[in-house]
Amino acid sequence: MYAGCDLGAVTARVVIIEDDAIVSSETMPYKKLPVQAAVEAFERALAKADLSRDRIDYCVATGFGKKAVPYADADSAEVVCLNRAFRLLNANVRTVIDAGGQSMRAINFSQKGKVLDSTVNEKCAAGTGKFIEVMAKALELPIEEVSALAFESKDPVAITSQCGVFAESEVITYVNEGRDRADIVAGIARSVAAKVSSLVRRISLEEEVAMVGGVALNAGVRRYVEEELGVKLADLEADPQVYGALGAALVAREKHGA
Amino acid sequence: MIVAGCDVGSLTAEAVLLENGTILGSEIMLVRPTAEQSARDVMEKVLDRLSLSYDDIGFAVATGYGRETIPFANANLSEISCHAKGAHFLVPGIRTVIDVGGQDCKAIRVGSDGGVENFVMNDKCAAGTGRSLELNSEALGVQVSELGPISLEAKEAIVITSQCSIFTELEIMHLLMEGRRTADVAAGINQAMARRVKMLAGRVGIKNDVGITGGVSKNVGVVKMLEEMLNVEFVGFPEDPQIMGALGAALFAAEKAPQ
Repeated sequence: MYAGCDLGAVTARVVIIEDDAIVSSETMPYKKLPVQAAVEAFERALAKADLSRDRIDYCVATGFGKKAVPYADADSAEVVCLNRAFRLLNANVRTVIDAGGQSMRAINFSQKGKVLDSTVNEKCAAGTGKFIEVMAKALELPIEEVSALAFESKDPVAITSQCGVFAESEVITYVNEGRDRADIVAGIARSVAAKVSSLVRRISLEEEVAMVGGVALNAGVRRYVEEELGVKLADLEADPQVYGALGAALVAREKHGA
Repeated sequence: MIVAGCDVGSLTAEAVLLENGTILGSEIMLVRPTAEQSARDVMEKVLDRLSLSYDDIGFAVATGYGRETIPFANANLSEISCHAKGAHFLVPGIRTVIDVGGQDCKAIRVGSDGGVENFVMNDKCAAGTGRSLELNSEALGVQVSELGPISLEAKEAIVITSQCSIFTELEIMHLLMEGRRTADVAAGINQAMARRVKMLAGRVGIKNDVGITGGVSKNVGVVKMLEEMLNVEFVGFPEDPQIMGALGAALFAAEKAPQ
């Protein structure tokens, strides 16, 4: 059995695999203690499947905190891990957008499933989960509600600034003007989608296109990404948040086998 | 002939009255809901103070936001041209103006005639604008006006690695949690700011004399660090540099007025 840990900026995810199947997985959000979250996620994933630590032959870590995971035997780049996960689960996907808590990544695969090109934004909060979090606070809405409301919008507001700081001011102005919350949420989702799309356009857009990461859970954003890119996003075979960790577990198997 | 210049910004509006190359009076006030209102109020304030009326103005030029909507303006020009012109009038040797405002940052290369030779602006990213200092000082738990003085007591400037002001908020929180000194973090914040401004200014090229304007120029910490980084000494202005745009507009009015 193999384990993969994806320690992102906002959540820690662990996936345990046996052969080509996911035996168990755990997603653990954290505020201040990433290493602790990675450890707890691992313990919970093991407990869920009633496994002891020694059943895991090899563990690989990925994500922003890949070097800080104490139980990992090795670490691997996010691009490689996502490639492995998609080759296994969604081999027809040629473009992957990883929309995370504090960064965004777009990757191209060849028809044979090799990584061709990738680009990342980890400097600017625009389009990341953090951006959505800041806007949700400005709207005084829990982040879970931010997604569904977008679909009730009749007239999405225009958010002209890419920058999260300036966009927040725009949102506050709309709130003060009494604009419909659904319209503001739709405006925010569109803004995130625009940023996601402009990132993808730095590499080439080959179908099928898939979106993973926490922001992929936001249906409003997904809908506007589809509109912006003119494609239907691929349905995923697993939870969009665990693709990185799954890939890491597959890399663990590769490394152990070697 | 008495000429007038009016500059409506995002936070303040200014008006300047000029006669034969001498400033008769100037006024600075917070903006009103519309550019037109802001322009009227600030112009009327300075006219009243000098016991003059709109009829006494031979020619008026407007600049800044909504400059096309100012009813008493005979012409309007870009704020960059007016800024450069006004700076050059105040300090004839000026060749570079760095303006760090609340929501944008500009660098202007000024020619020997007061014209604009080159110009670059960032108004897309909050980093390197007064807004980021506001956010960062909030995260630090100090007033934005205290950032400068506090940073002068720093033992070292802690390097802030994130560029985005949203991310620096988290970084600052972590630094405080680790027990780092407020003064050292304040110095780090100012340094990050100065770095961003330097990067922008570098794109137009720094040529002496260099002047700095805008709200952020009041932060002694940022100003000192920027002087070190750019290896310059900023010139002082004989008038409040906030009126530079309106002054430049008035100077253009003098040039454009039919004789």
